[in-house]
Amino acid sequence: MPDGSFAHPQQRQFNPYSENGGTILAIAGADFSVIAGDTRQSEGYSIQTRYAPKVFRLTDRAVLAVNGFAADGNVFVKKVKQRLEWYRHAHAKDMPLRAIARMIQTMLYAQRFFPYYVYNILGGIEEDGSGAVYSFDPVGSYEREACRAAGAAQSLVQPFLDNQIYFKNQQSLPGQSRPLHLPLPEVLSIVIDSFTSATERHIEVGDGLEMYVVLAKGRSIQGLESFRGVQELTPNPDGDRVFVIRRELKKD
Amino acid sequence: MNSVYKGPGFDFSNTNRNAFLETRGLPLPKATSTGTTIVGCLFKDGIVLGADTRATTGPIVADKNCEKIHYIADNIRCCGAGTAADTEFSTALIASNIEMHALSTGRKPKVVTAMTMLKQMLFRNQGQIGAALVLGGVDASGPHLFTIHPHGSTDKLPYVTMGSGSLAAMAVFESSWKPNMSRKEALDLVTAAISAGIFNDLGSGSNVDACVITATHTEMLRNFVKPNERVQKEKSYRFARGTTAWKKEDIRNLIISEVVVPTREGEEMDTS
Amino acid sequence: MQTVDMQQLKSGEVNLGTSIMAVQFKDGVVVGADSRTTTGSYIANRVTDKLTHVHDRIYCCRSGSAADTQAIADMVHYHLQIHAQQSGGRPTVLTAANVFQKLCYENKDALSAGIIVAGWDKETGPSVYNIPLGGGLFRQPWAIGGSGSTYVYGYCDATYQDGWGRDETINFVKNTLALAMSRDGSSGGVIRMCVITEDGVERLFVPGNELPKFWEGEEVLSKSSNRTREFTDDMAIEV
Repeated sequence: MPDGSFAHPQQRQFNPYSENGGTILAIAGADFSVIAGDTRQSEGYSIQTRYAPKVFRLTDRAVLAVNGFAADGNVFVKKVKQRLEWYRHAHAKDMPLRAIARMIQTMLYAQRFFPYYVYNILGGIEEDGSGAVYSFDPVGSYEREACRAAGAAQSLVQPFLDNQIYFKNQQSLPGQSRPLHLPLPEVLSIVIDSFTSATERHIEVGDGLEMYVVLAKGRSIQGLESFRGVQELTPNPDGDRVFVIRRELKKD
Repeated sequence: MNSVYKGPGFDFSNTNRNAFLETRGLPLPKATSTGTTIVGCLFKDGIVLGADTRATTGPIVADKNCEKIHYIADNIRCCGAGTAADTEFSTALIASNIEMHALSTGRKPKVVTAMTMLKQMLFRNQGQIGAALVLGGVDASGPHLFTIHPHGSTDKLPYVTMGSGSLAAMAVFESSWKPNMSRKEALDLVTAAISAGIFNDLGSGSNVDACVITATHTEMLRNFVKPNERVQKEKSYRFARGTTAWKKEDIRNLIISEVVVPTREGEEMDTS
Repeated sequence: MQTVDMQQLKSGEVNLGTSIMAVQFKDGVVVGADSRTTTGSYIANRVTDKLTHVHDRIYCCRSGSAADTQAIADMVHYHLQIHAQQSGGRPTVLTAANVFQKLCYENKDALSAGIIVAGWDKETGPSVYNIPLGGGLFRQPWAIGGSGSTYVYGYCDATYQDGWGRDETINFVKNTLALAMSRDGSSGGVIRMCVITEDGVERLFVPGNELPKFWEGEEVLSKSSNRTREFTDDMAIEV
């Protein structure tokens, strides 16, 4: 072309990934676990939907939160659920939490050179009845922790959690208790405040909040009964129990 | 070149250094942008301007209640979208020049004068000044409403929108705008257009600012609607005294007392 | 060719991806344009006036970058006002075209502007000048420009004739622009026209729903073609 518009070689590459915003977090208690996520799904400056769940119940004692590229997240959860179903048919029981965590690692690492663009947080109750949180990177590196935030507002929420859960940067004062695990109402308050604050300062967080609470077998629902709109998802009150609490978040 | 006296206009002395730093992998710092919804609308007696109040740096909200309707003259206002510093500075500069112009001509400023000054300044800078503006006002020749793009092009229309929420806001105008609206109708329409931006565009948020300009009066309606009030937190996060650790304690006396001893007596200045 | 290269526009720049036209006739000229201004795929203005006054009997049609062409038109307007004051008479269309050409040629690396200048003056009567992208200057009996023009060169070549009157010329401009707008995605909206004669300038307006209609392919879509057979029982697969 005389005007030189096609003079330069051009390279184009299809990019199969996108980033859909939102934030997830999980906190482990002594005999419970809370896993939460907002429900906004966005791309760029547009909202795709105000209600797209990012937190999923896997078993009566395991809940998985997935954040990052929504399409990959949904497929990944589907495949995890399928593997758990197969396990149930083979062993006539639910897969234990630590086994689910190890399985998720192998599933993620299997895609090492074409990864699922997702950050996973697994929360629930271990076989010994303790609350647990496992967090993963997109290619399967994982560790057990007491709390973890991931997603768009991770950099806003994780420091807050470190301060409030691990009491980081707080000098211990005489006569003040520093529990290893916080009580359930305290944890739920911190979760709600994390999300209302992230909604204030991060444009991709908002619309709705879903908090899943997993209680260990035999634990009373103490600390939950006063909460507005608690919904039980497990049919059997004698085993481990899963509850969901939903809240509205700001929509701007 | 590197004189102590700095001439007028932009200072380019860091451009070479910054270009070098960029090649070494240090990206330029992000400017605060008003990823915005701004609108303007003509009605029976004048112009209504509207804006949201969110300012962002990337995905982070930098200011939850900023002002995007800028003063140009008593009868002219300008909404700004794009780089916050650019909209702030270019409107302030033109406001100053308009005031000088009004003083020297002894006439009320005209909207086209402000529009021409802005477009010539933006064109001179070839799009480097990232200001996308909605300019509105009423002068001796009636009401006028313009959009001005960063490269310096202008449009004159009865209803306009700009910023990242402009599509959401324009959808409202295209479906509901009609000629010769009353003040209330126009204000409601502008509120609906800005709200569309606030709720459907992630770059826009918080409150609705509005400004009604008529031949006799300009009314700035700051935080006209507040549809996104902050909710009460579940917990108090007050820290007990002594929570913050310290390494060293040093208490200084701010009152300094000193004794002055006169050394040469009888040599006081002659004040007679 | 004077179509604007999209790659050459700076990102985010407002574009007059346009259909513009000017035709001379016995007593004057007719200039016309569509009304669409775009930023990427968004229509920033659907009722743009691309027919810009530069003097009493001289107009220009703008295509390319909105900012560049507005700035150029403003400068030419200023020059012609000074010129008129100093010479005590109206400038010729050639003078106006020369000022445009000088600006476009000397700043060719910074501008994307394709401009048609047309009007009436005492010396030559009606005239049309084309100033395409590089800053050339060509007098033509008719000129078309903008991204939409590529679709209608054939129509213009086949249709234009010397010696037309006012109404025939208006129809020619109207039809050409309607055809260009129907094929070119970056052109559309309404048609604006100006008839410039010794006596004055007359503005004409064709709303978007009253554009001249040509073949739109309805016959093919509505008529059930005899080449596609209806699905009948005997086409069902037998097991």
